[in-house]
Amino acid sequence: MSLNKQKKVATRKVATSLLNAKAVSKRYGGVQALDNASIELQPGEIRAICGENGAGKSTLVKILTGIVMPDNGTIEMHGKKLHLHNPRDAQEMGINLVSQELSVCPDLSVLDNIWLGTIDVPFFHKRWHMKTKAIEVLNNLGAGYIGINTLVSNLSTGERQIVEIARMLTRDTQVLILDEPTATLSDSEIKLIFNALKAVKAEGRSILYITHRLSEVFEICDTVTVMRNGKVVESCAVSELDRKSLIELMLGRTLDEMFPEHHVATGDTALSISNLSIPNILEEVSLSVPAGQIVCLTGQVGSGIESIVRSICGLVDDANGQITIAETQIPIGRPEASYKAGVRFVSGDRAEEGIFVNLSVAENLVATRLNNKSKIGFINPSDQTRKAKILAQSVGVNVDRLKSIANELSGGNQQKLAFGRYVNDANAKVIVMIEPTRGIDVGARAEIYKLMREFCDLGYGILISSTDFAEVLGLGDIIITMYRGQIVKTYNSDTVTMQGIIADVTHPEV
Amino acid sequence: MSQNLEIQKESSQKSFNLMKSIKVADIIRLTVIISLLAFALTTPGFLSSLSIRSLLSTMSFVGCVAVGMTFITLSGNIMSFSIGAGLSAATIIFVALLPYGLFTALVATVIFSAVINGIQGWIIGYFRANPIIVSMAGYSLIIGIMTYFTQGRGLYIQGSEAAFFKQNLGPIPGPFIGLVLAVIVAQLILTYTRVGKRIYLTGSNSKAALAAGFEPWKTIVWAYVLSGVFAAIAAILMASRYSSGDLQHGIGLEFGAISAVLVGGTLIQGGKGSVLHTLLGTLLIAVFQAVLVLRGFSTEIQQLALGVVVLVVIMLQWKKDK
Repeated sequence: MSLNKQKKVATRKVATSLLNAKAVSKRYGGVQALDNASIELQPGEIRAICGENGAGKSTLVKILTGIVMPDNGTIEMHGKKLHLHNPRDAQEMGINLVSQELSVCPDLSVLDNIWLGTIDVPFFHKRWHMKTKAIEVLNNLGAGYIGINTLVSNLSTGERQIVEIARMLTRDTQVLILDEPTATLSDSEIKLIFNALKAVKAEGRSILYITHRLSEVFEICDTVTVMRNGKVVESCAVSELDRKSLIELMLGRTLDEMFPEHHVATGDTALSISNLSIPNILEEVSLSVPAGQIVCLTGQVGSGIESIVRSICGLVDDANGQITIAETQIPIGRPEASYKAGVRFVSGDRAEEGIFVNLSVAENLVATRLNNKSKIGFINPSDQTRKAKILAQSVGVNVDRLKSIANELSGGNQQKLAFGRYVNDANAKVIVMIEPTRGIDVGARAEIYKLMREFCDLGYGILISSTDFAEVLGLGDIIITMYRGQIVKTYNSDTVTMQGIIADVTHPEV
Repeated sequence: MSQNLEIQKESSQKSFNLMKSIKVADIIRLTVIISLLAFALTTPGFLSSLSIRSLLSTMSFVGCVAVGMTFITLSGNIMSFSIGAGLSAATIIFVALLPYGLFTALVATVIFSAVINGIQGWIIGYFRANPIIVSMAGYSLIIGIMTYFTQGRGLYIQGSEAAFFKQNLGPIPGPFIGLVLAVIVAQLILTYTRVGKRIYLTGSNSKAALAAGFEPWKTIVWAYVLSGVFAAIAAILMASRYSSGDLQHGIGLEFGAISAVLVGGTLIQGGKGSVLHTLLGTLLIAVFQAVLVLRGFSTEIQQLALGVVVLVVIMLQWKKDK
């Protein structure tokens, strides 16, 4: 970028900003997802939004794009107040989102995908005009080689992303929001996206760039907003920060305070997997989990880490390979058999598969303990209540809340319920988890980590999959990095570094 | 300390929610019940023993079906369109087998009904098929096969084997006793057995059930089997009362039953509700219909009014859920 342009941006800053969200708050049930967050965007600026899972980034994006309404706070564009009631309002104002999951239709052409969902395409429209515009936009993005009549199913993931960006530009977007656009891309594809983003910026449009990859912040962004627990904790130029200070801002503490101490004592093998494959997802993965240790699988979305955990639980039908729990091999794709062998699953997606949302805290806690008393299946309610009380105490959930509906609890407390089911479970051998602290605030996180360590001390082996590198780094006794269905490296807690993990999961040297 | 604060925050939120839900849903519900009662008591002839007895008697059949339907709704499978058809078929089985002894007929009817519903539950649970579509197919199959075998004719009870089920207990109609017993047994199953608890868990979140290590399809099969058992009870009571087995007996009963389940307050998404609620729902609808009849409204108006009531109840449920 020439110095001239940089100056232009600087002089514009004196005038009114393009987009200005002031003191925006949003509460979901018991969770304050966004707390007086403010964010400002100048024309031609690329602003990174950084924060851990659950920091409030996606809530902020949903508010800016009209998907949810804020409880309070205002959003201004060019100094004029906006009322965004639905995504259509946002589109009319030129605010558009390219979300994490691509929303292209593979069986339609590039041209159709570019115009898909645009509100001002009339019922009778001039197709040649749309063609010229689409070609022009693709050329501007440096992707003129993509033919507009190609089916999107023939494009790579990165090219599909370009098609989505092109779609937003034909809508005369002023603020383009990208939610982790590079999460599933290879290096060369990331270059493609970055070039496109530079072109967008050169046209004076602005970008909000949400990412977990800190190196990208320093590579492509001008300014950065750091969020934590729903609050904006820092907003400054990227040049004012370095990598370490950015991580500390995101976490709100140094890594050591967050995580309990590591264990080095090795027990027997609690779980071992050999040659586990799933068509198109996993290739010949082998690993083992010692009792009393926490093993973390990490990689990007789509690297297959979740599939390993799901296979162990019997939730993947087309998996192949051997899974052995304490020296007994378990069948594939049979959740009950996995459970009987001693596998206990805690999902990070609590509403989807973690808790029974409209049942009480007590009912959630004893959900897996309906068998104990009688073979025929009669249960004794007072005995159940007594059990629920003990379990609640052992995971730190207030016993006065046993009758509360699980949905009203905060994310952290809900996760404790899922854990509580497995306390004092004589048959449990391995606890497996997917994103154990997704959407949980920092305070509750530390408690969850402590609980996990306590489980370890009781002799369980723990295997988690996590895309949160800071978590993996702080928590894991053994860290396994994965890339596209294959293991890249295995570290122990002494040898692992953040740089190592990031290098492995993005462009492994294999 | 931070945890305390959080708890405080959450509980204040909860009491706020409570206030809100009392304001919206419960007050309307209470008003509806009170005004319906007032409406009923001021209706001339409502309190006569004849009208009350016929009310109790007619609500019993749909009530038993509703009890069965409650299991299906609670397990997260909305409703079954084939319960009425299955019930009709069961009346025929019952009457056809009576000559071989009452006990044989009873057992065979219950097994028949449990099996045809259980198979549907298996298809729905194991293959994750859509419950509505499966039960519609079930309806066609049952009606088709039974019509083929009976040529569409009803069967009549010749002997007096089933006379026991025709009896009344003093002024209380026999079928109503059947309903009360069915409700008690069903509620005991839901509260005191593993299957009952798992029906709630599965209905609340079947993926979480799977993650917690038990396979939802087994529970769903059980829910359908139980619904079949209670439909069989309705079939036996009906066949005895009308001294016949006929494909027309149960047609359309499932609509009355699902209305009763919903008006009773069981969540259409499953996981929340009870058989006692369903009994209340059945009673409310029966009173409502009786009042309309006594006040001389035509059948069309009755249908229309019932439709409005069910819609309002569902809308209230949604509102409360949000």
